[in-house]
Amino acid sequence: MEGYSNEARGVELLRQMLGEQAEFRPGQWDAIEMIAENKGRALLVQRTGWGKSIVYFLATKLLRDKGAGPTLLVSPLLSLMRNQLEMAERIGLSAYTINSTNRNEWDVIERALAEGCCDILLISPERLNNQHFLDEVLPLVSGRIGLLVVDEAHCISDWGHDFRPDYRRIARILQTLPKGVPVLGTTATANNRVILDIQEQIGEDLVILRGPLVRTSLRLQNLVVGDKASRLAWLAQNLPKLPGSGIIYCLTIRDTQRVAGWLQSHGINAKPYHAGDDRNIDRPALERALINNEVKALVATVALGMGFDKPDLGFVIHFQRPGSVIHYYQQVGRAGRAIDKSYGILLSGTEDDEIQEYFIESAFPNRQIFEQILRTLEREGSQRINDLLSNINARKRMAGKALKLLELDGAIGTVYNRGKYYFRTPNPWIPDDERYQRVTDLRRQELSQMQAYVTHEGCLMEFLCDALDDPQAEPCGRCANCVSRGFSVKVPTELVAAAEEFLKFDELRLFPRKSLPSGIYPDRSRVIPDNRRNQPGRTLCEYGDSGWGELVRTGKYIDQVFSDELLDAAKDLILNRWNPQPFPEWVTAIPSLRRPNLVPGFAERLAIRLGLPYHCVLIRIRDAPEQKGMENSTMQARNVQGSLGINGDVPSRPVLLVDDIVDSGWTLTIAGFLLQESGSGVVCPFTLARAQSRYG
Amino acid sequence: MKLASDSQAMVMLCSRLGFSTQTNVKTYTLKDWNPLARKLIDANMHPGDLLGLSAVDIKSQLDIGLEESERVSFLLERGTAIAIELDRLSSLGIWVWTRADKVYPVRYRQRLKDSAPLVLFGSGDKYLPGQPGLAIVGSRNVDVEIKAFAEEIGNICANSGLVVYSGGARGIDTYSMIAALDGRGTSVSVLGHSLEKVIRDIDIRMALENENLTLLTPYLPSAGFSVGGAMGRNKLIYTLADYALVISSDFNKGGTWAGATENLKNGWVPLFVMDSMHMPEGNKMLLEKGAISMPNPLPIEGSKEFRNWLKRNSKKIQPPPSQMSLFS
Repeated sequence: MEGYSNEARGVELLRQMLGEQAEFRPGQWDAIEMIAENKGRALLVQRTGWGKSIVYFLATKLLRDKGAGPTLLVSPLLSLMRNQLEMAERIGLSAYTINSTNRNEWDVIERALAEGCCDILLISPERLNNQHFLDEVLPLVSGRIGLLVVDEAHCISDWGHDFRPDYRRIARILQTLPKGVPVLGTTATANNRVILDIQEQIGEDLVILRGPLVRTSLRLQNLVVGDKASRLAWLAQNLPKLPGSGIIYCLTIRDTQRVAGWLQSHGINAKPYHAGDDRNIDRPALERALINNEVKALVATVALGMGFDKPDLGFVIHFQRPGSVIHYYQQVGRAGRAIDKSYGILLSGTEDDEIQEYFIESAFPNRQIFEQILRTLEREGSQRINDLLSNINARKRMAGKALKLLELDGAIGTVYNRGKYYFRTPNPWIPDDERYQRVTDLRRQELSQMQAYVTHEGCLMEFLCDALDDPQAEPCGRCANCVSRGFSVKVPTELVAAAEEFLKFDELRLFPRKSLPSGIYPDRSRVIPDNRRNQPGRTLCEYGDSGWGELVRTGKYIDQVFSDELLDAAKDLILNRWNPQPFPEWVTAIPSLRRPNLVPGFAERLAIRLGLPYHCVLIRIRDAPEQKGMENSTMQARNVQGSLGINGDVPSRPVLLVDDIVDSGWTLTIAGFLLQESGSGVVCPFTLARAQSRYG
Repeated sequence: MKLASDSQAMVMLCSRLGFSTQTNVKTYTLKDWNPLARKLIDANMHPGDLLGLSAVDIKSQLDIGLEESERVSFLLERGTAIAIELDRLSSLGIWVWTRADKVYPVRYRQRLKDSAPLVLFGSGDKYLPGQPGLAIVGSRNVDVEIKAFAEEIGNICANSGLVVYSGGARGIDTYSMIAALDGRGTSVSVLGHSLEKVIRDIDIRMALENENLTLLTPYLPSAGFSVGGAMGRNKLIYTLADYALVISSDFNKGGTWAGATENLKNGWVPLFVMDSMHMPEGNKMLLEKGAISMPNPLPIEGSKEFRNWLKRNSKKIQPPPSQMSLFS
């Protein structure tokens, strides 16, 4: 009888949350009972939107009623969605989030915890190792956590499609949890191998609760359109035909800007969305605009993802192909959660494989970086990140990854003492090359599965569900392959030509650096004074892109001279589209000992076209190794510094500073600094190309 | 770090790790743990058996009052937080022992009995504590001659295979420890505070990684200095060793004096005192109280004789052996 009354109580609470007619979906009550009544451990594998949060809300409520401590929800999400919070409130639960972006709310949250008014606390996996959280927050509830919920639980397994290093800590914690602590893992995307691995790690008593993954309103179609210009043309042609508003996914930040710019020039309200360094991107505002259908599309990187929920999203288009079928399923599955008809269209590009290969190759730092970090800390003791970087030849981002992995390995720790310091722990460090290799191999397998999906001739939804080992996978009867019709790949040639033109003139901005790296001029402040900084500059193209990028490459490495076509394009950009103010009154170039005439020769020809004098004032003191061999800022600037100098009179008027390819930006920064030290006017940098050093 | 369930339960019940001082419920101290341990023995239960039990079950099975069973049940709900805390400590190179652990130093159990610490935190080699060795204690501020003697003894211990037990403080503790490590010997420091901070020192870290050093503390790894902490650890230094040596002590004040007289009173280990022309007042008084003279300079040729010399001179003061239950 007691079992019945518990379930009745559960239904009562469910109806409080969702309305009088609400019934449990199959599996929901089983999961709640497993956790709240039996204090067991469950892994819930259900598609997004199924109601996984209902399970832990109700379980929390039942546990709290029995006097348990609050639920700790560990999730990569920054916060619960507004509608989830409202559901929780309806059964009297208060949910709070502690993260690095809401520091001003911590006092309130901590008071709520201390007073027992916080029922659910959401934290990121990183916070489990945070000193403040351990020393100040957990003690507020005397360490009494009633329920531990792990979101995106597939990350516990290396076989998952996401590699999130912090989940390794979660796995360890789960392995050491004493009896009697209920645990719920939730995921929308775990195949058999992942589930088995999680079960092996956490223990036999983990109960798997799994449901079907198929999305019944989604119409999938794969289109092989080819080059970027054709795909841009396809978008301009077809986007207006698609219902409602949606998302266009790109693999790089640069492409989100390009695609959005192109669509805007065709009167389509599309906005770029990414997590890059751009003050114009207000992500919450953009998300609201999409939710309210105020934009036709957000052109986004994967930064628009987890936790974003728009039930009536009309379409998801991929401008480039994701790295795995599971990622694709997740992203395309954002469409049509609560409408009858929605579209998931995959365009694939010629550049996709190269970009994915880059992602795979740059996923893990190499062994030397780990070793350099450890040896430095062993020798020097605690260090700040910047001091550490000056001893390590690695990009800051890569060094950051290495630091994170080493911290998870217990080889290094962090301590705050007016700033964050890293230190070496007494734990021995055993390199886990095998593990990284395993993950890398898995990524390659996923990539080839994704390649197979693009040309798959059978049901597309079934392919996706099969890849996730959904036992109920079957032909959907809706995708373009099932119904043998869909959008045409054909686009008018004029539109393709216009897109080609657009890409050609899609110049890039160069943002001046505002500080010098530490150790360059030890007796100076690192901040470059305003009158020594460069003006915002321009670059003609992305190196290696088709169009100008290809011309820059052949000019530099094959012809040893930059073509007149580039000269015309540069002139056009500088005079007509850039037109910097004050306009430069003379031109100079970054010299090179390796190719003494390449850039100066080009700069001189450019000066003639612009009707300006050319002065060769910058010299190389000794030749520097190529910048691209230098991995992080501190190392790069050291490389530049000492190799550039000034020779001769520097006119005291604004100058156009020319280089061929900009990589780190340090060469231009230091040349501009030196020129202005020597009395020049403002410095406007211009380069033919920007090295495609980073994706995303 | 994976603990046996008895240890898990003991850490939850007895350690203030991740616990607020604000709450009405208190963690178990030595004083109130020992009666509970007896209840457990009477019920033929181990601490780990309490995991997953409700307050009502605990009350009936242990035959204790409602208030106490609720206290136990409250503390045992700290499982998740303790797992998180211990993972962080483990990542820093810090492990935890409880009196329920097999590796817990036998000498503490035997010599300290009911006052053996319930929970210990440590870093470095787990097997050094309890190996044959000499506890070396003394003041923080000493002159060159006394410093040289501390270093000589530390070095001799290294050469003769004796662990140097000390308190990790400035002065004598550090001189003797470093001399032992420099001489390729081993050392165990029982800290009164700041374990988390100490392990960040470049040389200490290296010795810990190389398993030549063990740090132990009965206090939380993040605990700062306190006089109580400094005094409280004295007995944990003496009771790990075979012999103790006071290199310099004030008379009737300070931690060295307190520790040395405590040892004389309890007869844990034979107590040697540096005996020289310019020895401090405390040394003289300790000799008068029955400590054994260790002349400076040492009356031995080469460090090989040192162990025998200690043995010969220690007048057969032996700790009384006893059998104790694992967690009581």
